[in-house]
Amino acid sequence: MKTLSEWESKRRLPDLPYPQEALAVSRDKAQEFVAALGKPMVAKASGVAHKTEGGLVRFGVSAQTVGPIWDELAAAGDGTVLLAEQVSAELELIVGGYRDPSFGPLVTVGIGGIAAEIFGDVVALLAPPEPGELAAAVKQLSGHKLLQGIRGGPPVDIGALARIVDSVAGLLVDDPMVAEVDCNPVMVCKGKPLVVDALVVLADDAGA
Amino acid sequence: MSLDSLFKPRSIAVYGASATDSRKLGNTLLKNAAGGTGDVLAVHPEAETIDGIPAVAKLNRRIDLALISVPDKRVEAAVIDAAAAGAGTAIVLSSGFGETGPEGRKVQDRLVAIARSSGMRLVGPNCMGVVSHLGDDRWLNGSYFWSIPNKPGGLSFVSQSGAFGGMFFGHLRASGLGLSRFLSVGNSADVGITDALEWLGDDPQTTAIGMFVEGFGDGRRFVDVARKVTSKKPVVVLKAGKMAAGAKAAASHTGSMAGSHAAIRAGLRRAGVIEAADTESFFDAMDGAAVGLRKKLVRNIAIVTISGGPSVLAADASERAGLLLPALGAATLERLRGLVPSFAALGNPIDLTPQCPIDHYVPAIEAIYADPAVEGVVAINCGLDLKPFGTGVARGVAATGKPTAAFVLDAPGVEAEMAGAGVLRFASPERAVNALASGV
Repeated sequence: MKTLSEWESKRRLPDLPYPQEALAVSRDKAQEFVAALGKPMVAKASGVAHKTEGGLVRFGVSAQTVGPIWDELAAAGDGTVLLAEQVSAELELIVGGYRDPSFGPLVTVGIGGIAAEIFGDVVALLAPPEPGELAAAVKQLSGHKLLQGIRGGPPVDIGALARIVDSVAGLLVDDPMVAEVDCNPVMVCKGKPLVVDALVVLADDAGA
Repeated sequence: MSLDSLFKPRSIAVYGASATDSRKLGNTLLKNAAGGTGDVLAVHPEAETIDGIPAVAKLNRRIDLALISVPDKRVEAAVIDAAAAGAGTAIVLSSGFGETGPEGRKVQDRLVAIARSSGMRLVGPNCMGVVSHLGDDRWLNGSYFWSIPNKPGGLSFVSQSGAFGGMFFGHLRASGLGLSRFLSVGNSADVGITDALEWLGDDPQTTAIGMFVEGFGDGRRFVDVARKVTSKKPVVVLKAGKMAAGAKAAASHTGSMAGSHAAIRAGLRRAGVIEAADTESFFDAMDGAAVGLRKKLVRNIAIVTISGGPSVLAADASERAGLLLPALGAATLERLRGLVPSFAALGNPIDLTPQCPIDHYVPAIEAIYADPAVEGVVAINCGLDLKPFGTGVARGVAATGKPTAAFVLDAPGVEAEMAGAGVLRFASPERAVNALASGV
């Protein structure tokens, strides 16, 4: 099994809604990008698994602070640093995909965040899902009310979520080498889902 | 290829009956097979008759069904013999094949190759056989089960476990429901659960299908077949080995997050199959499917009772299961007020109370059935054998066809009235509710 870097993974899923982001190959490029956007950014080491646990994700990065952060994260990873617009969300979801030996490719949708790891509130659908299956499956989540809008906020745009799910399903169905996909977190900002992190895992050639 | 020769054979050959010891399993099989089909013969190297049934050394004519119960080393020769004679289907009941390891698996693969090269279907090996209602009072018992219930009905059952087949027959005897077909597929070397399901889906005699499943094999094919079947008749599945499936899926992060059983749930959801969590709820849902509780999906139910506490348990179970307990319409309430004591509870549950005038139960219950807000009924009666309570339910069912599940305790008169109307009784108030709710 081979896990692609976040940047490579996102290139395999080109149609997903992402925050504005760039892979900074140098300290200068990093400064240029952060200054041009003029908002607080997130900096993430590239090509490293478990970035958060490794302390390799930094928030509130500005044009003034990005230099030394780039140095440190580039050294910890593959020599590049992923810079992304920092988004705030009312809800975190996860979307993924995997293969079952009997039922073939499946996509998953669930409630994200730390609670996800405790409650495992995730539902799977055969890939590709048929019209209406996602809406029905989401209702089976224990936390499905979270998707209907929190404290008077807008509900999750199920159509937009379905497009993410369909893209993940499409990748698994079209490319037999793709063993697994993890979009985690998918942050919901004013009802709109945004894929903040994505990972694609490829099967070994021999095992394909 | 059609499984008619399996489920509706006109001629049977049995391999493996002993000429000298009629206590052998093979002799049970021969006796069972001879009980329902006129055209039965035994295949035996020396005997001319076994237990009064003619025997031949080699099969010398076409037959529909070969039942093979010889020691594992002699199975291959028997399969060759049956295939050469042009048998439609061979059931290998003998064990000692794929379930024992790679060597047994090799022999099993050869059996399949022999069968396929002659166009014969192969059931098993390592299975309990087939039972099928052939019409009128004629039954095929091509199984080791020496005593099978012989009440005809619309329920068919497919099992990947022979022993669970025994549990099924035990349950059938207790529930009194009628049987259409039974098949134990064993190692599923050729005929698998999906093939059986496909045939049963087209079988006009089968109105509901139960399945005990350990593995789905080609899960996508199962889904494609099952969704066609469920558009015509309900299918209820009990899946064993949910945790073992999880061990494999756990190789993937998203797979393990979704839980061990997620792929199966996804497949069964698309197929419209009802999945039961355990043996008890499986039999409840299967029985419910068999008596037509699932003809129409209900969401709004009335709980009709003269037993307060148990009906509250039923109300709790309804909420858990996603059923709604609507208020009765104004006209119904007015009618009921004229029939039941002033202290009767006319919410939902509707407690008519034991003090209701005896000849008012029938019209009161009929009125509840007639209420358009009510799609289905759970009837509960603990220990008060007021026969008109049962009559009211029977008449309500007859008049409206609304799906009804009951819990009746120590009230044989009530129970008899309900049984006469085909109303199924369950072992607890909650189980009655869950049977009505399964699939909601």
